[in-house]
Amino acid sequence: MIRRLGWAIALVVLYAVCIRVVSPDLTRLWAGLPRLARWLASSFPPDFSGPGDLARRAAETVAIATLGTTVAAVLALPLTLLAARPVAPLPWLYHPVRAVLDVLRGVDGFVFALIFVAAVGLGPFAGMLGVSLHSAGSIAKLWSEALEAADLAPVEAAMSAGASRAQAATVVLLPETLPQTMSVLMYIWEFNIRASTVLGVVGAGGLGQELKNAVDLLDFSRVMAILLIIIVLTLSADRLSAYLRRSML
Amino acid sequence: MSTPDGLRVEHLSVDRGGRPILRDVSLRVAPGEMVVIEGESGAGKTTLLRAIAGLLPYDGRVSARVRPAMVFQAHALAGRLSAEANVLVGTLGRIGLARATMRLWPAAERALVRDCLARVGLDGLGRSRADHLSGGQRQRVAIARALAQRAPVLLADEPVASLDPVNADAVLTLLRDLARQQGLAVLLCLHQPELAQRFADRRFRLRQGALLAIEARCDHPPSV
Repeated sequence: MIRRLGWAIALVVLYAVCIRVVSPDLTRLWAGLPRLARWLASSFPPDFSGPGDLARRAAETVAIATLGTTVAAVLALPLTLLAARPVAPLPWLYHPVRAVLDVLRGVDGFVFALIFVAAVGLGPFAGMLGVSLHSAGSIAKLWSEALEAADLAPVEAAMSAGASRAQAATVVLLPETLPQTMSVLMYIWEFNIRASTVLGVVGAGGLGQELKNAVDLLDFSRVMAILLIIIVLTLSADRLSAYLRRSML
Repeated sequence: MSTPDGLRVEHLSVDRGGRPILRDVSLRVAPGEMVVIEGESGAGKTTLLRAIAGLLPYDGRVSARVRPAMVFQAHALAGRLSAEANVLVGTLGRIGLARATMRLWPAAERALVRDCLARVGLDGLGRSRADHLSGGQRQRVAIARALAQRAPVLLADEPVASLDPVNADAVLTLLRDLARQQGLAVLLCLHQPELAQRFADRRFRLRQGALLAIEARCDHPPSV
């Protein structure tokens, strides 16, 4: 009873602090609604002028997500093998590698992109680097969990036949968990398509760049066109990823 | 002392968490012989085979020319891999990491794998996914994988536990034929006394971690 009361008090304190920090103000929202309605009305019809530019930006977004996810997978593979208990060749490295993964996942791709824009300049390359670093942490964590949840009997059988841990991992465990690992990869790619649409806000290329320009100019019909492209892009990625995941089972 | 052909186990004991599982177990399996260990669930049969296979630490001595091959109770196959790829796993002890990762098996090992599949009656099923095979076929793949190790000693942990009577007969006949025709020393655990009686050259019972001889079959001369 006392424990439950303690939890209830903790929750109340948490929400009190959150409300104080955020200062939600419904009157301000109410006052802003007519402006939002005006912007919404002015966003129709959407402005698809310069389709070449829009297509180039959309292609940049897909390219950032695709290359970023691929580079992330390459970075994640060795980290996965070091962070999956059944195959980790150096058990003393397990916790340090897990900590690295937490750091990579803890810093958003957007923040990494911001840093890379400063380092390598504006453009999609900085966006791809940002996406890669953040995603490498996520992929390695999810992959290592997939390996840890796998049936280890075939791995043990391989090792009893004289296979090394590395052989058992590459010949038995990785192919056996391919549906799970590819599913993770598809999910991260789909996630990165969504994430890449806003990277342009920090100058890292893609549709976000076009979106920021339109918002700065209060060009809401252009904003609507870009939002519609983003929706089509993310829905297409979602469907394609779901189809590929199903076909891999 | 030279290492004998077949398998010799002397004074083998296994403790787990301070609790004795096996106590002073000694036995010998000669080439060409099939020996069965019987016992209730939890008697220590699996522990004995895993210790002999080097999968568990033990006190005592296990003598075999090379590491024994093991057939696991629930096949332990990689379901998404083909039967052939599963049998190739048995050759990993002789293949380097790079070759194995690139799937560049030497032609001789591939031929051996096809031969092992043929010996267990799975000619033509090498390309089938393991999880598309029947229970009896999977157990045969597991036996073929053990054969691919080219070990003179074959251990089998309840190899027919999940099979119907027809497949159980077929798998045990196969193991006995492998012992007879190829001179393998076969040691297996069974919990069906009637099957043990029909197929074993010699039978032992594990009770409370100790090994007790049952009797030798009348139609086979004792091997030890």
